[in-house]
Amino acid sequence: MIAAPEPLLSLRLSVDYPQKARVLRDVRLEIGQGEIVGLVGQSGSGKSTLALAILGLLEMKDGKAQGAIRFRGTDLLRLSEREMRTLRGSAIGLVLQSPLSSLNPALKIRTQLKEAWKAHRKGTRDECAGAIRNALASVSLPVEDEFQKRYPSQLSVGQAQRVLIAMAVLHRPALLVTDEATSALDVITQSEILALFARLKEESGMSILYISHDLPSVAGISHRTAILHEGEIVECAPTDQIFKRPSHPYTQRLIASLPEVPAGGTLPIVKTTAATR
Amino acid sequence: MPRKLACLVLALVTAASLAASWLAPAGYATQFREAPNAPPSRRHLLGTDQVGRDLFSRTLYGTRISLLLAPAAALVATTLAAGIGGVAGFLGGVPERVAMSLTNLFLSLPWLFLLITIRALLPLNASPLASVLATFLMLGLLGWAASARVLCAGARALRTSELLLQARALGLHGPRLFAVHVISNLKPVLYAQFWISIPTFILSEANLGILGLGVPEPMPSWGTLLKELEGVTSLTEQPWKLAPLLVLIVVVTSFQLALSRQEVPL
Amino acid sequence: MLSSSALAESGSELRFCLHSEPKTFNPLLVADDAAETIRYLTGGVLVRVNRQTQELEPELALSWKVSKDGREVTFKLRKGLSFSDGTPFSADDVAYTMRLLMDPELHSPTGDAFRSGSGAVRSEVFAPDRVSITFPATVAGLDRLFDQVAILSAHSPKKEMAVLGPFMIADYKPGSTVLLKRNPNYWKTDSHGRRLPYLDSIRLDIQPNRDIELVRFKRGELDLINSLDSEYFDRVDATSPGLVHDAGPSLDSEQMWFNQVAAAPLPPYEREWFRSTNFRRAISQAINREDLSRIVFNGHARPALGPVSPANKFWYNSRMKADAFGRDASLARLAVEGFRLQDGILRDESGHRVEFSIITNSGNKYRERMAILIQHDLEEIGIKVNIVTLDFPSLIERITHSFNYEAALLGFTNVDLDPNTQMNVWLSSAENHQWNPREKSPETSWEAEIDKLMRAQASSRDPGKRKESFDRVQEIVVEQMPFIYLVNRDSLSAISASLQGTVPVILRPQTYWNADRLTVSAEAGTRGR
Repeated sequence: MIAAPEPLLSLRLSVDYPQKARVLRDVRLEIGQGEIVGLVGQSGSGKSTLALAILGLLEMKDGKAQGAIRFRGTDLLRLSEREMRTLRGSAIGLVLQSPLSSLNPALKIRTQLKEAWKAHRKGTRDECAGAIRNALASVSLPVEDEFQKRYPSQLSVGQAQRVLIAMAVLHRPALLVTDEATSALDVITQSEILALFARLKEESGMSILYISHDLPSVAGISHRTAILHEGEIVECAPTDQIFKRPSHPYTQRLIASLPEVPAGGTLPIVKTTAATR
Repeated sequence: MPRKLACLVLALVTAASLAASWLAPAGYATQFREAPNAPPSRRHLLGTDQVGRDLFSRTLYGTRISLLLAPAAALVATTLAAGIGGVAGFLGGVPERVAMSLTNLFLSLPWLFLLITIRALLPLNASPLASVLATFLMLGLLGWAASARVLCAGARALRTSELLLQARALGLHGPRLFAVHVISNLKPVLYAQFWISIPTFILSEANLGILGLGVPEPMPSWGTLLKELEGVTSLTEQPWKLAPLLVLIVVVTSFQLALSRQEVPL
Repeated sequence: MLSSSALAESGSELRFCLHSEPKTFNPLLVADDAAETIRYLTGGVLVRVNRQTQELEPELALSWKVSKDGREVTFKLRKGLSFSDGTPFSADDVAYTMRLLMDPELHSPTGDAFRSGSGAVRSEVFAPDRVSITFPATVAGLDRLFDQVAILSAHSPKKEMAVLGPFMIADYKPGSTVLLKRNPNYWKTDSHGRRLPYLDSIRLDIQPNRDIELVRFKRGELDLINSLDSEYFDRVDATSPGLVHDAGPSLDSEQMWFNQVAAAPLPPYEREWFRSTNFRRAISQAINREDLSRIVFNGHARPALGPVSPANKFWYNSRMKADAFGRDASLARLAVEGFRLQDGILRDESGHRVEFSIITNSGNKYRERMAILIQHDLEEIGIKVNIVTLDFPSLIERITHSFNYEAALLGFTNVDLDPNTQMNVWLSSAENHQWNPREKSPETSWEAEIDKLMRAQASSRDPGKRKESFDRVQEIVVEQMPFIYLVNRDSLSAISASLQGTVPVILRPQTYWNADRLTVSAEAGTRGR
């Protein structure tokens, strides 16, 4: 493991909600340039809260964060909403679980992509159209007008999730946070999307915080994995190590509850390399 | 198919009302004093009213005024409702509470007295056009509150939705976020509120006449034409008097049929 | 008037509607129509205005005499009469009634008419059948006022329930009915010596809804409708002709007037128009009153000229003549004042377009329609009229306080024939002097003259002289047109075929003024169907 000179993201975080205190308790996490970090936890463990906190959207749930979220050397918690806004969608992207409830059912996907583009860029119509085509192509979706004119209800779930990813990577963010991004998908689509994440990382060198309750899918993509349990990170180690030598009892229980590991002990890890420039 | 028919009906009614000056056999104010309250005849297709004015002509001219202005008033009211109720629900917190108290206050105000005050402030000699515009503007300004509550509830439900979370995460914010993602999802509600308001406004306009507001004599409107039905003693003897009501029903129904398909497929 | 078979009927009941709950059964406190109906049917009075001849006739008093100064009246009473409960009637009862009537604590609306000056009212009983009443100052038309004073018993334990009229209250169900029964002690007899009234009872249903009243009348559940409006009249006439009666023009008038108040918030040139006699007369000439009567009231109204309806037989000045109606005559008169018609627009001397609004009360379709016709008529002489209907309180506010209006169209209801009841309209200092109320001193010479004439007729007891004065008032009003009188509405009623003896008249109560001589024939076809 080669240590990066400075991680892209490094956080130390506690979060309270008005009705529920200490949803996250002194969570520490680092993500290096071009690294994929998995975050595993059961529902209610605080996974989504962490995603919201990184994007500075805790306010939507009236949450209060303490600590620091250092992103490229800046503490995000100290940024104003206005400054945070310029990072959201451009430097940090988010992909949520359910494409059907995250896409706007009332708008054509082109309109939604256009809005996402205009949120950070001023440019001609052609530049915008080009960016949209590129984004669609990069997630292996058709780029034709006919497709762009569709409403979310006219897409398959997999297509919709790709649209969501296309929007999230439209501005080539340095960090992509995916919150249960594959959980709603069938197994085949799920592996396709995982492969897509791996490819995107490969092509653009972005870092990915891959949040899921599903340990195998995390194992399939991440270099390192953190285990979140009741608001605390109980273990954080290279993915191999987590599977082979889980140290925390909770992690051990998690591993034990998995179906039999395929013979040979090899995990379906997508071959990736950490970007260490 | 019914949609096409509805569009056709609307086009015909609109064309006929716009061409009232050519189509109408008489001016809306012309009094045929030798034939008040006459039954339909070749000369007066729908008969005449109590002071001998040709009802067919008055229906045409009245349609022109109401068809143009009631939707305009509904547009004003719905826009205000979306602006006040929608934004309040979208913002939540203090703005929402303030806006909803305002809405409730608005709904509980003694409108009769307020309108009387408004009438007292307006000059008695307003030009008919100014009165007509003022009337429908006033209806629009007064009619937003009930719709605002509905829209506020709709926007509130959206506020914490994944849809808006995702949109925010993409960097959208403020008015743009509201205009693009909230309004597009409130559209069905907005349409419904809009269509509900039109017949209400048409009838309210007639009632405003009681307070010296509304479309002034001798100008006809659907409201004033419908009000004359109160004086019709026996409808079985004078069924033709129902013509303006029939036009109103046909037009409102057609509008709904024609526009229901334009909503987004969900 | 009565057939002998009708006389033989017994167990007969007359049924009609009160349009509101009677507020009181005390005849001295009557202020509403329903209570007035009951007072009229139950109360005995000293003298009565004959509703048909409009003459004053003896009733409980055999004769009476008003002193020269108009302050004192002496009555000679009938002997041997008794109240409905058997208590004998005497001059004491008259004195007692007058004492209650004039008691300031009671606030009797009837008593108000007698209050002419400060000081006590004195009643003096000379004999059981002779009583005189003295007022502190002259009371105009003193004897006629007694038509409204139902005599109460000074001694009866039943108080005001002991009555001298043809009927007495037998039962009252609030919100539903008032049942009147024949007063067995009623003193009148018919020419055959038979005791009146013929009817055994009168059932008064409390029903504010006129449509329901009409339906019930058509079903034969009611015997009469006392005052119909013209649309209802034609509805009944269409389905059951012969049951409706048009007794001709009533005392009520519809009129419009221009705001002449000096302090009114109007442009000065407009006030000039409204204060111009020729302007007002020209407007009057341009209005087609025949059309108002024919179209708005379906012919059940007559064009009006002056303040007194021709129905008021004694006081109406029949020598007055209306200005010629018509566009040209009107324009000619306007030209005298410098108004000119250019391209269909009437302009005054300084070039202002003649435009004004007429306010009227909303919900009165007759007035709204009259306004529409007038608007059209005045368009003919280039005047733009804006019609504004207002709720009644706003209208009253404008015509009595803010004076923020140009012209108004309203009606006046006249209950009384005597000009004294119109003092509050004609005196320039009066509240109801609508075109310019509460003048400190008369602002025009003709208003000063009206003041003088009205005071003169009020202080005179000579009917001839009074009429002379009031005739002149009518002439001035028609010359000056402070009110532009439009129409007198007809007095309309509906009477079932089974009710006999009715003579509809224009004075209230139009149909049952002779209730003691009415009969209901049980076998008549419409009854009880």
